[in-house]
Amino acid sequence: MNDIDPALDLRARRTDPIHEELAEIERTWLSPPGFFGWFTHVNHTSIGLRFLVTSFAFFLIAGLLGLAMRLQLVTPLNDFLGPETYNQVMTVHGTAMMFLFAIPAVEGVAIYFVPLMIGARDLAFPRLSAFGYYIYLIGGTVFFASLFVGMAPAAGWFNYVPLSGPEYAEGRGVDIWVTMITFIEVSALTAAVELIVSIFKLRAPGMSLNRMPIFVWAALVMAFMIMFAMPSVIVASAMLTMDRLVDTQFFNPDLGGSPLLWQHLFWFFGHPEVYIILVPALGIVTTIVVTFTQRSVFGYTALVLAIVGVGMVSFGLWVHHMYATGLPLLGRSFFQAASSMIAIASGVQIYCWIATMWGARIRFDTPMLFVLGFFAIFVTGGLTGVMVASVPFDRQVHDTYFVVAHFHYVLVGGAVFPLLAGLYYWFPKVTGRMLHERLGKWSCGIAFVGFNLTFFPMHQLGLEGMPRRIYTYLPGLGWDFLNQLATVGAFVLAAGFALTFWNVFRSLRAGDAAPANPWHAPTLEWATTSPPLNCNFAEQIVVRSDQPIWDWERTGRRAVVGGMRIDRRETIVTTLLDARPQSVQILPTPTPWPFYSAVVLSVCFFGLIFSPWFYVAGIFGAFATFVFWFLPRRRSEVI
Amino acid sequence: MTDAAIETEIAVDASGLPRLTPHTHPLWWGVLGAVAIEAAVVANLLTSYFYLMSQSETWPPAGIKPPDPFWATVVLCVLPLSSVTMWWAGRGSDADRKTQLAMGVTASVALASLALVFRWLQFAAFGVRWDEHAYGSILWAITGFHFTHVVSAILGTAVVAVLAWMDYFTSERQLGVVVDTLYWYFVAAVFLPIYLVLYWAPRWL
Repeated sequence: MNDIDPALDLRARRTDPIHEELAEIERTWLSPPGFFGWFTHVNHTSIGLRFLVTSFAFFLIAGLLGLAMRLQLVTPLNDFLGPETYNQVMTVHGTAMMFLFAIPAVEGVAIYFVPLMIGARDLAFPRLSAFGYYIYLIGGTVFFASLFVGMAPAAGWFNYVPLSGPEYAEGRGVDIWVTMITFIEVSALTAAVELIVSIFKLRAPGMSLNRMPIFVWAALVMAFMIMFAMPSVIVASAMLTMDRLVDTQFFNPDLGGSPLLWQHLFWFFGHPEVYIILVPALGIVTTIVVTFTQRSVFGYTALVLAIVGVGMVSFGLWVHHMYATGLPLLGRSFFQAASSMIAIASGVQIYCWIATMWGARIRFDTPMLFVLGFFAIFVTGGLTGVMVASVPFDRQVHDTYFVVAHFHYVLVGGAVFPLLAGLYYWFPKVTGRMLHERLGKWSCGIAFVGFNLTFFPMHQLGLEGMPRRIYTYLPGLGWDFLNQLATVGAFVLAAGFALTFWNVFRSLRAGDAAPANPWHAPTLEWATTSPPLNCNFAEQIVVRSDQPIWDWERTGRRAVVGGMRIDRRETIVTTLLDARPQSVQILPTPTPWPFYSAVVLSVCFFGLIFSPWFYVAGIFGAFATFVFWFLPRRRSEVI
Repeated sequence: MTDAAIETEIAVDASGLPRLTPHTHPLWWGVLGAVAIEAAVVANLLTSYFYLMSQSETWPPAGIKPPDPFWATVVLCVLPLSSVTMWWAGRGSDADRKTQLAMGVTASVALASLALVFRWLQFAAFGVRWDEHAYGSILWAITGFHFTHVVSAILGTAVVAVLAWMDYFTSERQLGVVVDTLYWYFVAAVFLPIYLVLYWAPRWL
């Protein structure tokens, strides 16, 4: 194998015969092999896949922490985890699931598939996505490491002051939490800008905004939400860092500060955050519904508007996390109305999906089964959502297990099930092999049963008054049986997920070879080899509708872009609305500088835990690496 | 996937499309995205300022006067002036007048460095430390945030200036100049709301 050109070597599992011209463009877009080559990759397929693999590894660890909590709660006064350990485990579980799994996973899906779906050769700023990945990897790894040395934060994933302030949270735990948040902010914001610009400017000629696949719309809305939600947690975490590091008084009520300021800033980010995770999942669901019914989606415009609407309304809901903080009645009423409004947009989506499926011959393979699981779980979570949006009801169940049940229904139903649906749907695209179908169906069924067994009893536990965020409870309160049920359910749920992990593991080596378009999908990611070519498309495509692949079959013709150079990385740039060809962007070649920048910034972020001078060091150190990163290319390379 | 049954035609010929597009390059949109993020951070900081203000009986706290606006007003004049020199430099770049470009960006760096000195004097004139009261904390935080931005704009533009004197840019090949100018305008413009809130809100409201 070694004497074969590496560009060709990768093609061992690809179906197309290769011709001379393709060999050259594939060499141009090749990601260097080898250990040191790994640190220079910039191709979106490489970076997107890393985001996905890393986030699922973190999902696995955070899931095991969830099991540990369930073991602790299986009987009253259990001593499996001590109170301090339980608090750390709970905090790390929540924080990791939100920041280290859900956001990076949906970003990873978008980074991998958006360029393929819009017919681009790569994202607009490939080095930036590589930089975002290293930042995420370093931040996430250190965060988990803190748990194993007993230095983890213990103030919950929302990290409320004053519990997390300098007075009550001694040690480095909260500092590590805040630093990790900084890493994820940077990583998510780079991905957001990257996705927005790529979707605006790098779409294939002819792919006007109203022909974009719904998933791309969802990724666009998600990116805008990240852009406007993350800044408030930047401000909040910067203030907390300063309170702890240089004795500012932002959250100290004795000296003019306000603990509620933290809650406002955090939830102004934290609520959109939930939808940042959900919105791309909606895109995945729509993609799968369209493919598995073999129909155009019902109500394209209504669906897009509903997704945009969810994105916008989600910024007006944050106070419903704060009903119990003594806010004015008028404020609470306003946010109660706004919170109920989100049900309208969600309803429009659900009905669009139902109408698409109505009377269609649905193909019930694993991706579709996970989507159906999503419908059931997410609608249940939505119903309890409308309940807790109402102030009087919320005041009754606030801080009880009812809320735990509600948000697990929304998050696991709204994000994990669609992500697994996407895994089964796109695995053939990414690896060239199919996942095992029967294992997939078992996995879906067991996870669905396990999920409901775990979290449905928590509604009742909450109504019976069991508080959340506690490491144990007293005997004789009547909570024993339902807690045991939930713990059993948690292990069933874990078994369901484990089946999928095993399926991925075995299918990587033993899975059936995937046909070019196994589900007969209409979108462009299926118009190339599986796994995709280094350059994504041998020739960039010109699009005439929102279902290019089905069009080609109908008309027997397809249109492509000619005249692109193949000896350097070029992708076509089009106008924002109508996607008329405008210019050609020359993309950067593999480089280790994003990695060096990430290392320098990481050292300084962690240094900030100990000394404010690392702020200054960070500015100048990062600047120095950025100069090398952006060092101008030779004239001959760009003319 | 090249299906034999499907006929392929070339509908768009990209060989004649421009490769160097300083004014419509995706990076221009990228910097606009960075500006949107920074603007959102400023909005959050200023909102926090008003929130803390609304939670206090007296603002600034008793015994502390609102900051003296003299140096800030000077900065408010110097920063737009440096934007004018940036704009003039861009005009030179568009017309391939290399010296005008180099002098313009150098003048901007010099003016902004002067603004930094004035900003530094402001810190001294606050009359309150960051650890005395939340008022001092937010005042120092917002000023420090903007200070950092001026520093980063200066650093970036200094690199552009060096490249300009090395005769690197042409009217086609000046993406660096265009995006740096965009960021510069933002750093200069965002001082206006900051100035109004920090110096005049405690007097007028």
